[in-house]
Amino acid sequence: MLVYGTVAIYYVMFVNILYFTIMGLSFRSIGTISKRAKYSSYQTLSGSELVPSVSLLVPAYNEELTIIENVYCLMTLNYPTYEVIVINDGSSDDTLPVLIKEFKLEKMHNPEIRGTIETQNVRGIYHNPDYPHLFIIDKENGGKADSLNAGINFSHYPLISSIDADSLLEKDALIRMARMYMENPEETVAVGGDVRIANGCLIENGAVKRVSLPRKIWPMFQSIEYLKAFLGGRIGWSRMNGLIIVSGAFGLFRKDYVIAVGGYRGGYPGEDMNIIIKLHRYMLSHKIPYKVAFCPEAVCWTQAPDTYKIISNQRMRWGRGNLKNMIENRGMFLNPKYKVMGLITMPYNVLFETLNPYFRITGLLALVGYTLLDMTHWRILLTFMLLNFLSGYLLSVGAIILEEIAFRRYKKLSDLWKMLLFSALKFVGYHQLGVLWRVQGHIQYLRKNNSWGTMTRQSWKEESETASTA
Amino acid sequence: MFSHLFVAYVFIYVCLGLIGLGIMLLVQMKISHNREQQRREFYEQKHHDYFVYVQAHLGDDAELKLPPGKLKPLERGVIQDKFIEWIEQFKGDYRTRLIRLCREAGFVEADLKALGSFRHGRRLAAAYRLGGMRAEEAVPELLKMLQKGKYNSISIIIARSIAKSAKRPEDLLDMLRCLLSHGKPIHHLAADIMLETGLDASSILLKLLDDSDPALVKVGLVAMWGQAVPEVMPVLGRLVGAKEKDVRAEAVKLYLSSNPALKDETIVQLMTDRDWEVRAEAAKALGQLHAAGSIPLLVKALQDASWKVRHNSAESLAALGEAGFEALCQAAVTGAGIQREAALHRIGLVMEAEQKHGAIEQMVAYNKKRLIHDRYFGVKQPVKRMTGVAAVGGDYTA
Repeated sequence: MLVYGTVAIYYVMFVNILYFTIMGLSFRSIGTISKRAKYSSYQTLSGSELVPSVSLLVPAYNEELTIIENVYCLMTLNYPTYEVIVINDGSSDDTLPVLIKEFKLEKMHNPEIRGTIETQNVRGIYHNPDYPHLFIIDKENGGKADSLNAGINFSHYPLISSIDADSLLEKDALIRMARMYMENPEETVAVGGDVRIANGCLIENGAVKRVSLPRKIWPMFQSIEYLKAFLGGRIGWSRMNGLIIVSGAFGLFRKDYVIAVGGYRGGYPGEDMNIIIKLHRYMLSHKIPYKVAFCPEAVCWTQAPDTYKIISNQRMRWGRGNLKNMIENRGMFLNPKYKVMGLITMPYNVLFETLNPYFRITGLLALVGYTLLDMTHWRILLTFMLLNFLSGYLLSVGAIILEEIAFRRYKKLSDLWKMLLFSALKFVGYHQLGVLWRVQGHIQYLRKNNSWGTMTRQSWKEESETASTA
Repeated sequence: MFSHLFVAYVFIYVCLGLIGLGIMLLVQMKISHNREQQRREFYEQKHHDYFVYVQAHLGDDAELKLPPGKLKPLERGVIQDKFIEWIEQFKGDYRTRLIRLCREAGFVEADLKALGSFRHGRRLAAAYRLGGMRAEEAVPELLKMLQKGKYNSISIIIARSIAKSAKRPEDLLDMLRCLLSHGKPIHHLAADIMLETGLDASSILLKLLDDSDPALVKVGLVAMWGQAVPEVMPVLGRLVGAKEKDVRAEAVKLYLSSNPALKDETIVQLMTDRDWEVRAEAAKALGQLHAAGSIPLLVKALQDASWKVRHNSAESLAALGEAGFEALCQAAVTGAGIQREAALHRIGLVMEAEQKHGAIEQMVAYNKKRLIHDRYFGVKQPVKRMTGVAAVGGDYTA
C-alpha cells in the first residue's frame, strides 16, 4: 500500500514536471506571440484580395435563442471573402424557422452539392440573394460531425472553419488565423483559436463589448480551466507540433486534407480531437511536412455551462470522446513512425490525461488506507494532497502570467485576485468532480451509452442584460 | 520512505517559492500595465487640443507646430502612435506632412537609434514604427534585421516596414528575395506586403515579372490581381507559355481576364492544358469573350475531371446565347454522369434567374430559352437533378 502511495506521489511529481515543461515551451513562445499580436497589420490584410477565401461552418442543434445573434456576428467579420454556412442538424426547436424569418430565406431549387462525404439526408438549402454569403443547410439529425461533413460537401472555398453556434468570434479573429496560415500555406493543415468564456461579458450586436469574469462559480472555474489549457498547454504543444486537438468551437482547416482523411468521424463525441489525430496520421504516413498551429490571439467567446447538470454532461461526453479516440488510434501509441505524435503526445494523453483519474484516485485511496492503519504517517497523506494542490496552482499562476504578458483581457486588479482565488478554490471540489466526471464518461463508454445529455442555451441578450446590471 | 518524502518536500518548497514569485510578478505587472494605460489616457486627453490643431491644419501651407512643452517618453509615444495611425489612414499631401512632422519632432531619429538596441523587443518596436513613419533611412538596417532573423511572424512585420519605407525598387526586391529565400510558398503574403509600397506599382511589377527567379515572378503575377497595368501585357503574353505550372496558371488567369482576342489554336491549346486551373480559366474566358465558335469545346469540357472546369464551361455555355443554351440542354439530355450533372445544374440556375427578370428584352430572351428547354425536357416539367449523381466525380479543387 505504501509502495503504491509512494509511486503515486512520484507520478504526480512527474506529471507536473511534464506540465511545467509544456508550459515552459508556452513561455518561450509568448514573446513572439505578444509581438506579432501587437505589430501585425490586419487593417490592410482584412481588405486584401490576396487573403484565401474561407467557408465558415456552423452546426446548429436547438440553437433558436442564440443563432440569430451569432449569424449576425459572423456576417460582420473583418475578412475579405468568406461564406457562412449554418447547418441545422434536425433541430426540434425553431432554429430553422427563426433563421428563415430573420433573413427572409428561400429554399434553393437546385443547390449544387459538390462533396461526396456521406451524411444524413439534406432536406434543403436556404438562401437569400440579399445575403449572398449566407447559406442554411437543413438536414436530418446526425450529430455535429455529420453536420460539419454536410457543410464541407456544400462549401465553396479551399479553407473551412468550424464554429460552434453558441460562440462569438472577435471581428479580427478569422483574419488573425488566416495571417498565420498565409505565413506557411503549404504546411499548415489546421489552426486552432483561443476559446474564452463569455459568461459575464457585456455583449452587444453579436460582439463582446466589455470583458468581465463570470459571476457564477461554474463558468468562473471553467474560465480558469480554459486559460490554463489554451495558454499554458496548447501554445507549448503547438511549438513542438504535437497539438492533439483544435477546439471544435473555433478552428481553421485546409479542406483538401480534411476530405483526404474522410471528413469528420460521426457517431461519437470528440470529433474535434479525432480530426486532428487523423490529420497527423495522414500527413506522417504520407511523409508530407505539415504543421498544426495554434493562434491564441484569434479569440472566440463561448457560453459556458452554468449548472451542475449541464457541465457534468459535457465533461462525461469529453471523457467518452477522449477514451474513444485513444482506443481508436492505439496504433500510434509509442510508434516512432508518428514522431512527436506517437512518441510524446499520444503516450502523454493516454498516461496523463485518460488514465490520470485512476492513478490519482487509487494513489489517494492507498495513502488514506495507509494512514488509517498507522495514523502517525498522516504527513505522507498531507504531502500527497499538497503536491497535487501546489503543482496545479502553480500551473494556473503560470497561465495567468502568460495572459498578463500577451493579452490582458481582464483589466482590473480585482479580476486578478478573483482568478487567483478561484484557481485555488478549483482544488476544493471542482477538480475532484472533474476526475469523477471523466471516470463516469469512461463508464458510459464501456456501457455503450452515447447520449448527448442535456444542453440548454441562454439568449445572448439575457446574458448581457445580467452583465450590464452587475 | 522519508528520503522519498524529502524529494516531495523539495518539490513542494519549489512550488511554493515559484507561486510566491509568480503572484508578486503578476501584481507588479497588473499595476504597471494599468498605470501605463491610465497615463496614456491622460496624455491623450492632455494633447487633445494639439491633435485637433494638427488635423485642422493638415491642408494648410504653413508649417505644422511641434507638440508643445517638454515631453516625457510615454507622452512622446502617445503622440507618435497617433501620427502613425493617421499616416496609415491618409494619403498624398496629408501623409507627407505628417511624416515630416514625425521627423521634426525627432521620432524618426529616436527610433533609428533604438534599432541598435540590445533588446530585441525594442528593436522590433522601432522597426514597426519606422515603417509607420515611412523612414527610408531605416531600410538598410531593416534589411539586415530581416536577413539575420529566422523566418517567422516577426520577419513579416519587418518586411512590411521595409515595403512601406523603401524609396528604391531594389530595396523592395531585396526584401522579397530575402522573404522568399526560405522556400515557403508565401507568394500571396509577399504580394500583399509588396503592395504596401509607396513606389509606382507598375514599374515594380514589370521588374518582378522580368526577374529570373520564378518565385518573384509569381509574386508579381499574384500582385497584379485587381491592378490595371497595361504595360505588363506583353510580358504576360510571354509567361503564358512558362514552364512552371504555377507561373503559367497565374499568367493565363491574368491574361484572359483582360479579354484578349484569342486565336482558335490558342483556345484549343488552353482548353487541353494539363493544368486544371488553366483549363478552368480558359473555359470561363470563352463565355465572356462570346466565342460562340468554341461551343463544341465547352460541351466536351463538361466531362472534365475538374469540377471547376465543368462549372465554368457550363456557365460559359449559358452565356453564349440560344446556341450555347441549346448545347447545354442537349448535353443534359444525351450526356451522362458528371457532364449531365453540370449541365442540369446550370440549366436550373438559368431558368430560375431569368424567370425573375422584368424587362421586355429579358422576357424575350427567357421565353426563347424556355422554348428550347421545353423542347428537351417537356412543358412545365421542372428540371430535376438525378439523386446521387453528385457523388460521381466530385472534387474539391476550389
